[in-house]
Amino acid sequence: MSSDERIRYSPPWGNASIIGVAGSSGSGKTSLALAIVASLNLPWVVIMSMDSFYKPLTPEQSAAAFRNEFDFDSPEAIDFDILVDRLRDIKNGKVAEVPVYSFEKHARLEQTTIVYSPHVLILEGIFALHDQRVLDMLDLRIFAEADSDLCLSRRSQACTSFSPYPVPSSSFEPTLIRAVVRDVKERGRDIEGCIKQWFSFVKPNFYKYVSPQREIADIIIPRGIENRVAIQMISSQITSTLATKSAQHQLELTRLGKIAEDSPLSKNAIVLKQTNQVRGIHALLMDPATNREDCIFYFDRLAGLLVETAVDFMQFTSVSVTTPQNYTYTGLHPVGEVSAVVILRGGSAFETGLRRTIPDCRTGRMLIQTNYRTGEPELHYRALPTNIAEHGLILVLDPQMSSGAAALMAVKVLVDHGVPERKIVFVTYLAGRVGVNRVLRVFPEVRCVIARMGDDMESRWVETRYLGC
Amino acid sequence: MGSESQPTAPSQSLGPEYRPATQKPTATVSKPVPHKNVHILPQTPQLIALLTMIRDKNTERADFIFYSNRIIRLLVEEGLNHLPVVGHEITTPVGRTYAGVKFEGKICGVSIMRAGESMEQGLRDCCRSVRIGKILIQRDEETAKPKLYYDKLPEDIAERWVLLLDPMLATGGSALMAIEVLKSRGVPEDHILFLNLIASPEGAKKFADHFPKVRVVTAFVDQGLDEKNYIVPGLGDFGDRFYTM
Repeated sequence: MSSDERIRYSPPWGNASIIGVAGSSGSGKTSLALAIVASLNLPWVVIMSMDSFYKPLTPEQSAAAFRNEFDFDSPEAIDFDILVDRLRDIKNGKVAEVPVYSFEKHARLEQTTIVYSPHVLILEGIFALHDQRVLDMLDLRIFAEADSDLCLSRRSQACTSFSPYPVPSSSFEPTLIRAVVRDVKERGRDIEGCIKQWFSFVKPNFYKYVSPQREIADIIIPRGIENRVAIQMISSQITSTLATKSAQHQLELTRLGKIAEDSPLSKNAIVLKQTNQVRGIHALLMDPATNREDCIFYFDRLAGLLVETAVDFMQFTSVSVTTPQNYTYTGLHPVGEVSAVVILRGGSAFETGLRRTIPDCRTGRMLIQTNYRTGEPELHYRALPTNIAEHGLILVLDPQMSSGAAALMAVKVLVDHGVPERKIVFVTYLAGRVGVNRVLRVFPEVRCVIARMGDDMESRWVETRYLGC
Repeated sequence: MGSESQPTAPSQSLGPEYRPATQKPTATVSKPVPHKNVHILPQTPQLIALLTMIRDKNTERADFIFYSNRIIRLLVEEGLNHLPVVGHEITTPVGRTYAGVKFEGKICGVSIMRAGESMEQGLRDCCRSVRIGKILIQRDEETAKPKLYYDKLPEDIAERWVLLLDPMLATGGSALMAIEVLKSRGVPEDHILFLNLIASPEGAKKFADHFPKVRVVTAFVDQGLDEKNYIVPGLGDFGDRFYTM
């Protein structure tokens, strides 16, 4: 196999599982989804509400909405095209910009929220099982039934004991009550309006659109959040999906490791010239007798050299300047901004060195931790500058690269955010050949600046030394 | 004076090897010099960009100081590599042996006042507690020759390696006199490293002729000197731009 051939890497969010939870208004879908997510408590299981995908209203529709005469409970009100588009992004592991809908203003807001890298996404909404294009992407279809079934089939007396709220005389339907309380509290509506909505739209639509979704559901969950057994069941289903994804990811990393094993160090790996000073600093950093103060000082010095080497990969343009004696000099100016992404926690060791060279460097952060049981890297947190894709050069800082798995994940996150590979420079103190090759075979245009080549799979001692714990 | 009177300068396309020539912008790089004791920093695009900033007369003082400091640190790092080391094998935290080195010999900095003092911070960034001596040399109005006005140097300077600091090497008058002072205190010539940002070919040659064992580490050799002995194109008066302008 030629070393220029591009190898694909599929991160654990590369093929997200999507679970759809449908059910009538106020049936407890949201609570159910929240309960499932809370029971798992993992950052890569997230909820997306279909409420975000209401179509922006025309002025006439908006006026009707403020009179509570607009039908929000018809599939017509939902922008399925955008929903399908965003679900497709999430399914493919890309960054999805989800609109934000304001119920007070009946309009889409300027800002969006970002959904990125869930391994499992729970899509929750009245019509989660309505559109065929959505159904095609779902891995599990759930219909939440709750008390609405009882109420809407006019067996409402059975539920009267449920309600602690004052009940409008026209109805004993607890689902209505729940919807009213929710709408007033969270969506800024008034009680009268809600009741009007209920009888004009919610109820008729239920029979027309909502109820038929039961037929195509894999699971029907009665009693919503009170149904502990069902929540437990769904949670274990998700847990097993996650375990499968994790196992696939580990296999993927092993496969990439095998490919990288036999090849010589990639030409895109730039190892600092091992001058006397550099070798002297290596010795000081590794010597257990060196005190912490010295360790930090010498690491900062080397970090400065690494950053100076990395910023040489910027684009430059010719420029003519005039000196104070009015001579001209044809020099260079850098094009674009250099920003950095710190891989936590170790990458923070680079920040002093970084700021010596670029004091105002915009710095994104990612927390990637290696699961101590499986050895698999996991993305826990990410905060990147908004326009990172337009920056001239992005330095990814991590003091050590052993298996390259975390580095691979970090670069993948940047590429997913639209950063061109050639603008990425991975800066590290210590790396192993297999790890470096693994990253550079998948991303052949990325460059790696390294202070010293060490063993493959060397334990992460550099950050421990620098941070002191 | 002006651009038309400038001698021609070496021009070169700069950029990483993998980039096609069209993506490598052209810039003026350091003039090569034949002297063995003159070491010029690698002409990377980044270094050229830093020099461009400090040469530009429109660069504000804060930026001038910041970009000068970045070049000075690179000079100090390069200079320190000329100091002797001894082999020092250590066991790494993962139980392997690493053939490292240990820094040998004591050092000190000596700045030629006042511009040389601007390089002290850069030196301290690399060598925290380094001793720093000072020398004040000024031109004697009557003889037009440099005259030593003041010096304060570590007592044991004869046993130390000396990093002599002065950002600009024009005619070399004061730098050569500073070397004489150091030698008179017993510092061997080959224990002196002279660090400067921009040198003139004339100054570099003078060093090679008079003190061939003194190593000169510079970021850039410019095209020449004008009739007022300013470096062309140079960057103006370094001390003024760093301290008072």
